[in-house]
Amino acid sequence: CSKVLDEKPQGVVSSEDLNTPENAEKMVIAAYSALGNDYWATPYSSMWAYGSIRSGDAYKGGDGPGDVGDFNAYETFNLNRVDLGNADGTWFRLYVAIGRVNDALGRVNNLTTAELPNKTIRQGELRFLRGHFYFLLKILFKRVPFIDETIAKTDYDKISNVDLSDQQLWDKITADFRFAADNLPDVQADKGRATRFAAKSYLAKVLLYQAYVQDDRNNVTTVDAAKLTEVLTLTDEVINSGKYSLSTDYANNFLSRFENGTESVFAIQYSKDDGTPNGRTDNGHSLNYPMNVEYGCCGFHTPSQNLVNAFKTSTSGLPLFDSYNIVNTAAGDDFKTEGFDPRLDHSVAIPGHPYKYRPNFIFQISWTRAPQIYGRFMSLKEVVLPDDPAFKKFPPFMSSSKNWDIIRYADVLLFKAEALIELGRFNEALPLINAIRTRASNSTSLLKQADGSDISNYRINTYQPGVNCTWSQTYAREALRYERRMEFAMEGYRFFDLVRWGIAAEYLNAYFSVEKNRASHLRDAVFKKNRDEYLPIPLNQINFSKGLYKQNTGW
Amino acid sequence: QIKTVTGTVTDQQNNAIEGVSVVVVESGKTAITDAKGRFSIQGESGQTLKFGYVGAVPYSLKIGNAENLTIQLDLNNSLNDVVVTGYQKERKKDLTGAVSVVNVQEIKDIPLGNPIKALQGRVPGVFISADGAPNGGASVRIRGIGTLGNNDPLYVIDGIPTKRGLQELNQNDIESIQVLKDASSATIYGSRAANGVIIVTTKRARAGYSRVDFDASASLQFYTSKLKTLNAEERGRAYWQAAVNDRSDPNLNQIYKYEWNNNFDNPVLNRVVIPEFIDAAKTMRSANTNWFDEISQQSLLQSYNVSIANGNEKGNSLFSLSYYDNKGIIRETRDKKLTARVNSDYSLLNGKLRIGENLSGTYMKDVLIPTGDVTGLSQIVFSVVPIYTVNGGWGGPAAGMADRQNPVRLIEDNKQNFNNFWRVFGNVYAELQIIPNLLLKTSYAIDYNGNYARTLRKSYTSGFLSDPSNAVNTNSNYDGNRIWQNTLTYSIKSEKHQADFLIAQEQINTIYQGFGASRQGLALENSDYAYLDAGSTNKDNGGNGTSSALLSYFAKANYTYNDRYLFSATIRRDGSSRFGKENQFGYFPAFSAGWRLSEEQFIKESLPVVSDLKLRYGWGKNGNQEIANNATYTLYSAVYGTNAIGNYDGGTAYDITGSNTGQLPSGFALIQQGNNTLKWEETSQHNIGLDFALLRNELSGSVDYFIKKTSDILISPAYLAVIGEGGARFANGASMQNKGLEFLLSWSKKIGNNWNITLTGNAASYRNKVTELPPEILTSYPGNGTDKNILGRPITSIFGYVADGIFKSAAEVNAHATQPGKGIGRIRYKDLNGDGVIDALDRDYIGNSAPKWIYGLNTSISYKDFDLSFFLQGVQGSMVNNGYKYLTDFSSLAPGANFGTRTLDAFTPQNSSSDIPSLTLVDRNNEGRTSTYFLESGSYLKLRNIQLGYNLQNALKNLKVQRARVFVQASNVFTIKSKSYTATDPENPGNAYPIPLITTVGLNVSF
Repeated sequence: CSKVLDEKPQGVVSSEDLNTPENAEKMVIAAYSALGNDYWATPYSSMWAYGSIRSGDAYKGGDGPGDVGDFNAYETFNLNRVDLGNADGTWFRLYVAIGRVNDALGRVNNLTTAELPNKTIRQGELRFLRGHFYFLLKILFKRVPFIDETIAKTDYDKISNVDLSDQQLWDKITADFRFAADNLPDVQADKGRATRFAAKSYLAKVLLYQAYVQDDRNNVTTVDAAKLTEVLTLTDEVINSGKYSLSTDYANNFLSRFENGTESVFAIQYSKDDGTPNGRTDNGHSLNYPMNVEYGCCGFHTPSQNLVNAFKTSTSGLPLFDSYNIVNTAAGDDFKTEGFDPRLDHSVAIPGHPYKYRPNFIFQISWTRAPQIYGRFMSLKEVVLPDDPAFKKFPPFMSSSKNWDIIRYADVLLFKAEALIELGRFNEALPLINAIRTRASNSTSLLKQADGSDISNYRINTYQPGVNCTWSQTYAREALRYERRMEFAMEGYRFFDLVRWGIAAEYLNAYFSVEKNRASHLRDAVFKKNRDEYLPIPLNQINFSKGLYKQNTGW
Repeated sequence: QIKTVTGTVTDQQNNAIEGVSVVVVESGKTAITDAKGRFSIQGESGQTLKFGYVGAVPYSLKIGNAENLTIQLDLNNSLNDVVVTGYQKERKKDLTGAVSVVNVQEIKDIPLGNPIKALQGRVPGVFISADGAPNGGASVRIRGIGTLGNNDPLYVIDGIPTKRGLQELNQNDIESIQVLKDASSATIYGSRAANGVIIVTTKRARAGYSRVDFDASASLQFYTSKLKTLNAEERGRAYWQAAVNDRSDPNLNQIYKYEWNNNFDNPVLNRVVIPEFIDAAKTMRSANTNWFDEISQQSLLQSYNVSIANGNEKGNSLFSLSYYDNKGIIRETRDKKLTARVNSDYSLLNGKLRIGENLSGTYMKDVLIPTGDVTGLSQIVFSVVPIYTVNGGWGGPAAGMADRQNPVRLIEDNKQNFNNFWRVFGNVYAELQIIPNLLLKTSYAIDYNGNYARTLRKSYTSGFLSDPSNAVNTNSNYDGNRIWQNTLTYSIKSEKHQADFLIAQEQINTIYQGFGASRQGLALENSDYAYLDAGSTNKDNGGNGTSSALLSYFAKANYTYNDRYLFSATIRRDGSSRFGKENQFGYFPAFSAGWRLSEEQFIKESLPVVSDLKLRYGWGKNGNQEIANNATYTLYSAVYGTNAIGNYDGGTAYDITGSNTGQLPSGFALIQQGNNTLKWEETSQHNIGLDFALLRNELSGSVDYFIKKTSDILISPAYLAVIGEGGARFANGASMQNKGLEFLLSWSKKIGNNWNITLTGNAASYRNKVTELPPEILTSYPGNGTDKNILGRPITSIFGYVADGIFKSAAEVNAHATQPGKGIGRIRYKDLNGDGVIDALDRDYIGNSAPKWIYGLNTSISYKDFDLSFFLQGVQGSMVNNGYKYLTDFSSLAPGANFGTRTLDAFTPQNSSSDIPSLTLVDRNNEGRTSTYFLESGSYLKLRNIQLGYNLQNALKNLKVQRARVFVQASNVFTIKSKSYTATDPENPGNAYPIPLITTVGLNVSF
């Protein structure tokens, strides 16, 4: 009689079936696929919702503060809560990704090199991926439970987020990248796989974050010179490898036809027409297209007035560190009378300006979603033109198969510059920063009106000590930080830079004090120092852990 | 001396009764009355004639000298109804469980496409909710919410258990419906009976019964629940008010321009200027569209039924056919349903062996209009948007509006898409009388249903929304159950003792198989062309399947002593493939007892007013196995990619080579954690009830009180995030309790020769509370997860802030606690914990969406050939979280939407008595949070149905008509709702299909 009740599961496999070398390789692919398994409410493939709209560079956008209201809570800080579903979702999605890595790594570890000749390479790739996901968790939530492939699933609920100190957690992440840097090959046949130099670059990035040592209340107390020195070593290895260079035009980093170019150190590989309903596309950015008929949704991630002002340059072509925000740039959308960093028109869609390098495709205020709330600008780097081969509509949303860079070479150069400046070797940082500015200066060939003239009045120059500036450590630090803002505007990491440098509270409250008069949704926004540097540990997780997890400081 | 006795049998109204069995007790000779109620039988003086008829008080008389007898049977006494209570039949007076018998006659002409919908409010303790969709789905809750998963009852149609509702059944085929509410009666159905059992018996022919029935009705349906939205000019005014309240320039918007005094301190609007065109390209001319009118229609509903029945000593057969065609009140929606039924049985071996079958087939075709979107969009899309552009294209959103579709386009672009549904349901059976009173029955049943849909998605441009691609999708699936039952019954009877025994075995196998495919790139966008083969790009397909099995053994015994003391005991052992090897089987016992006090001499003597009185008590245990078929296993799946619009993509494919397109390498994802300790969820229930009939059955009724406890509730708890993907895992782990009270009272009176009045009222109330939950999943239910949690509270609790009016002055604002975004005209939230700050800690339980009482009152009056009935139904004491208020009361929660007319009456310094928050462009006060502002009373009283009929039988005496009746009726005639409910229909508070007013004319004829 028990035979009657013996029903076999249909269309699925058991865990044991996946231990073969062939299937272990497939589990590595499944781990990679987590890089882009994203959607608009809990994006982590791009960090715009946490790094851009919390940084003063961008407003949330959309229909109003209630449209994906959790992002409004991120943006205004004072409305942030411990029980936001989207923050909990982001936490969960990142652990889903880590779960795939650990699953694959457990299987790869159990194979011999005879069975799996690429065993150590795959181990390196997986630990690179795990390092990436933990890095994202670390900069979002600070203290998170660290679970690797050696821990049995039944013991997961015994791992607290405070088992490791802040520095110990950093060490776990760097350990993964160190393993990857030691075991990955210089070149991989598959463009999507991590390489030795991608691992070294990422390791440099993590060490740079770790070097700004925080106390329990998120204050930056010291800067660890040893870590900075290691950043220098690593970035030099990457630079001297000769594998990378700045792309000739800044625009190439944001155009699908140049993806996996010389500046791309590690990128999420997206695809379409690949046998999936909507393509394996960049859904983390799917809210960020304009509202015109060619697109039609959803008007998120709009550059702040402050950011647009910041592209204004002095008569000598340098940033206006202190004065850029006193007067609104080009209230009448006149970008001809003053001078601008060309990266403005690569980063920001402006009414009357060609959209995404197409002279006859003019961005209009009507393309914005709620200009009375979120202003008349939109973000450009993540989008593609409607006839781009990478563009994919899946109404009501849309996105593209254009890759999204996690680290590009410009970042590596500025990591090095930052380390040099903090080590007091600021003179050596000058050529690195100037290389970035020179490339920006040379990137105007696509920024043309239909008549061939420049869209805006571009005026950008390198730092020339004694000519247009005095290059001190303080000045260099200011220049480096400003350069990062310009170079990586709207790319999603600005807020984490501010926290790393320990200036988030001062910077953002100064921003709110002015910006609230331009954007009324910010009227009550305030950054609470010693709290808002990190998102709270989601209440759900504290509850699910039965109190094992401890809440972040200030929450 | 044998002679021929003839006579006529009628009911109390002197209507002939066909099919009455007439037996000469001594000789065993039988006869059946014909259509005129006449019989003829051979008998001797002094012998006893016994007259039997379903639902009638048995009647006997001695054969005397009279030759042409006139017999009047008492049909009013429902206690003699025969009730199917689980593989057996019992007289209602012998019942010891809580069983409600539905008066099918009252609902048979109500054309809702689903008989269960017509039962709304008619059975105490059964809560039915449904929207107005033409294909007639409904949710049925017997005695409240008893578990955290599936709360649907089990249906048993002609002995065959199924979890599908009754929407595929021909209403006219139904002979009887019984609802088994308590555990002692339902336990015989063991597994799956914890949510109650609804037993449906369809009509069969009987010996001596030959008849053709024809029923037809036609109805007109009306949309009566349109929300009042702003017209083009009013929407402009509302925006202006919001902008000047915020002291921001109202002319900074992309549609309207304003002529006003430009004085923020005393703003005066002179004129709203609507542009000629709303788009820069000047294709969309400003309109004043009433979207509700554009998407709705008065519609026609038709229903036809014919059934042919024929029976004699050797066998019986019935054939019926019905057609139902409901054009909904949303344009282009339509449900067409064809059902056919045959059943027959054959009597062999001198009546010792009966062989028969039931078979019904249903075909349904539904137009796939996204009606939820369409009704929602009718509130959201601005009135200034035209339906069509000046070029005949689709109008749609322009700058400054939300990215929402033109609802008329959604209707027009989907009207070519249909779902085809089929269902085959039936059994074959054989029943052998081994020795007298010992019956062996075997039945093999199938219950298969499937869907096939080929849909064309058209390309479009509508305002700034567009999709240049088109696609064809083809989906097909089927769901099957095979049910094999074997029962052995024995009954013995003496003068004082009566006992029935049942032992049985049942085996159920279920299977599901489905697949779908799609392609894009169709050269033509019409249905005749849009097959998969015609698509050229983006080929996609998928398929899946699952199966499960149940195996059960059970036994039941009923014992009655002297018609007074009633006992019943049941034991059932159920095995399910869904549970772990160790726990596949569960035992489900039940016991009940009844005491017919009215049979006791002391009652008969001291209380002659009592015609029937019965006290009953029952206890029993039921099981529930509503979890995934594979719940015990840890499983991985090759996911490749998912259709992840509005959700994350859980795919395992990755473009590792950077080639951007083509077939990708792919892996596997964990989809589920196994739990091989899973076991049956159990519900145990005590029921105590009293049935009574007074004044020679003029007044009758019953009262039931129950306590129902569900434990080891099967949940798939939310889990610690670090567990990651596929952490879902079923577990037994929660308990809840329902206590309730049910009343039924019926008064029936014949006044003079011509008047009959029957009033039947019922009311029920229950209280639910969660008694146990694993602590880590408390946050999955309303509450803050720590000190305020759902334990001890109803599962339908609502958790949120208490809105304490709106700030009317700066002094009030200053006096209040720190509340980010507070200001004059804004909602004030109560500082519940008194810490001077309004934050998440100020939330508490603010309401319960479950009603305190549900009730119904039916009145039937007949006078000569006229009959009139009306039925009132209501719920009392429920709270509705009225989501419409986002749009009807606020300009900031959905700034790109049209608003409701209430916004015109919002607070301003000049209109300071208003309790609607001041309009604003930006919701800085977070007023969309769950709060009492949105909670409104969901109580209502509806005139659910009113019907007037006229019996033509007397008028058509000369024709060979057995029955003829015409009627007019109306459903959902009016609603009385609480003043505090600000939308239209508290029964249907979301964007579900609106419930129409239906007016019907109809005809029933039998030959």
